[in-house]
Amino acid sequence: MSLQSRLICLSACLALAGTAFAADTDTERLTKDPKNWAMQAGNLSNHRYSELKQITSKNAKNLTVAWTFSTGVLRGHEGGPLVIGDTMYLHSPFPNKVFAIALEDQSIRWKYEPKQDPTVIPVMCCDTVNRGLAYANGKIFLQQADTTLVALDAKTGNELWKNKVGDPKLGETTTNTPHIFKDKLLTGISGGEFGVRGRITAHDINTGKVLWKAYSTGPDNELIVDPNKTMTWTDGKMAPIGANSSLKTWQGDQWKLGGGTTWGWYSYDPELNMVYYGTGNPSTWNPRQRPGDNKWSMTIFARDLDTGMAKWVYQMTPHDEWDYDGVNEMILADIKVKGKPRKALVHFDRNGFAYTMDRVSGELLVAEKYDPVVNWATHVDMKSGRPQVVAKYSTDKNGPDVNTKGVCPSALGTKDQQPASYSPRTGLFYVPTNHVCMDYEPFQIEYTAGQPYVGSTLSMYAAPNSHGGMGNFIAWDAGTGKMVWTKPERFSVWSGALSTAGDVVFYGTLEGYLKAVDLNGKELWKFKTPSGIIGNVTTWEYKGKQYVGVLSGIGGWAGIGLAAGLSKGNEGLGAVGGYKDLAKYTELGGVLTVFALPDR
Amino acid sequence: MKPSRLLTLAVLAAASAVPLAAHADDFPTSGRVEYVLECMQKHDSKYEYLYKCSCVVDRIAKAMRYDDYVAMSMALRNQALAGERGGLFRDAAAAKDMAGKYKEIQAEANKACAVPQR
Repeated sequence: MSLQSRLICLSACLALAGTAFAADTDTERLTKDPKNWAMQAGNLSNHRYSELKQITSKNAKNLTVAWTFSTGVLRGHEGGPLVIGDTMYLHSPFPNKVFAIALEDQSIRWKYEPKQDPTVIPVMCCDTVNRGLAYANGKIFLQQADTTLVALDAKTGNELWKNKVGDPKLGETTTNTPHIFKDKLLTGISGGEFGVRGRITAHDINTGKVLWKAYSTGPDNELIVDPNKTMTWTDGKMAPIGANSSLKTWQGDQWKLGGGTTWGWYSYDPELNMVYYGTGNPSTWNPRQRPGDNKWSMTIFARDLDTGMAKWVYQMTPHDEWDYDGVNEMILADIKVKGKPRKALVHFDRNGFAYTMDRVSGELLVAEKYDPVVNWATHVDMKSGRPQVVAKYSTDKNGPDVNTKGVCPSALGTKDQQPASYSPRTGLFYVPTNHVCMDYEPFQIEYTAGQPYVGSTLSMYAAPNSHGGMGNFIAWDAGTGKMVWTKPERFSVWSGALSTAGDVVFYGTLEGYLKAVDLNGKELWKFKTPSGIIGNVTTWEYKGKQYVGVLSGIGGWAGIGLAAGLSKGNEGLGAVGGYKDLAKYTELGGVLTVFALPDR
Repeated sequence: MKPSRLLTLAVLAAASAVPLAAHADDFPTSGRVEYVLECMQKHDSKYEYLYKCSCVVDRIAKAMRYDDYVAMSMALRNQALAGERGGLFRDAAAAKDMAGKYKEIQAEANKACAVPQR
């Protein structure tokens, strides 16, 4: 055999070996190069951490604007850009435009704008947000508002396939990013306020075909659980969930409108081949109308990626009475918990508790308040795993048409979806939070498909007897369940954080500041972007230079009142007054502002 | 003697910083330009508003610190958001106060600079 033919054989053999793993996408590999930002969370573990260290705690004060890009869309801009090699992929809220931008000169390589029925807007509870794109094997994936999942050719923007995962006429919409894990794409559903039955679906990335679908509520086969093998924390140890674990906890057919939606940030452990995600609130908000634990709403699910089979579940807020959705990011971190090394899952729940679980077994290790003002429960009982609810803050005990006052946190949660960051360098979590309490009054409501199924009014205010601000940015030790430091903010922090190997932590504020702090929470730099920030901070490297970018553009839940035709003050989600004036205000559209250090 | 006298002055200035802060006049150029651009846009981009809107932002800058301006104007803007998130700015006393105070200062400045309230 000549050298040449040997080489040919070698490359052919490699190609063959490659096809043996053809199932695997390139996404995981791309995330390992810190020059890219190849997934919304930066990696499979939801770390939002970068190894880049050109920008450091010493020079961050010199950061300056490199370029900006406007999406031309108003309303709330969540999520952030993807960067693969020399191209950035950026999304917008409804109508869900997609831009491929050349990093070299910021020219637009291609643009995609789906045609969507605008009637989807009024059935989006919380503004027409979208949490960003996904990438795998030369394809860009977009989960549109109207539940259409689309694959685009990353080079041309041409549509490759489409698959609709829900029905907006039933109140089903989508806001989450698609998640690429190994060879599959996972996506969820929104609409817990509309009596939607939550589920996640796994898709073939080449065709969009559904491979499995797992519901949050209902019979065992539709949950994809094994009554004898799917485990949950019971009486201080893991035990099987048993038959009809969900059905038993609902009255009659209520599980069919059960909520438990899945619009958060999932994660994946390639060694265990397990995927982790959380489920949202049970419908309706009025707890008296749905007696029982309402399983498996408000739950952390751990499933086998290939089959969807649930390995373990843990319900954080049984029988929710306050809208504390459990969808927030699941962060996978190998840390010491109470002195012992663990493969942990860390989750900052809306209910104000930060949970540290053993992600292999599902054992509950730590559950502590990450804001001391949290008062609806005294603590989580570590034996039963249940929060110990304080009677006077129970909207169920107080009943409908009674205003339950002074509940902390508010329905926004101590934290909403805005993802925290985990730095493997420090072993700490950097968490954007709300510091807000509420008065909450449930009322009786009938279900109509595609109409809000909320049944409560609420009003919110800054946590009393504190610093007067409505937010904090904190550093958290998940191994001990203790706060390391806290930095007060005037407003809630609704932007996703980023930590880097340069020992800088970034986050955005509602005033529109992008801030850089050091590892002690000391502010190093801030810059006022054109609008409030509810997007997530991203970093990448191009031609030897580190960039930091963030979307600004706050829409919050703007326009819902107008769009849904609600006219009375408190109708729908506490949408009080005010929005009638919307047209009077000049609201700047979404802008990506990109920063770098100046050339020397 | 000179350095210590300067030091005394600095200390005095710091001590009186609380009442003086309101007159810090610390708006960055970008903050003023941003205000003028938006204000001009609100008034059909007529050139006369380059002068009128500049007059308004200079007055606002004399009345409050830039950080306070950013927070207060944002509180007012976000009251227009519907739903839970907007509720935070409409309900919460702290945000309501900020928005109200800003509206007042802006109205005064508009009046002084012949800019109709929009």
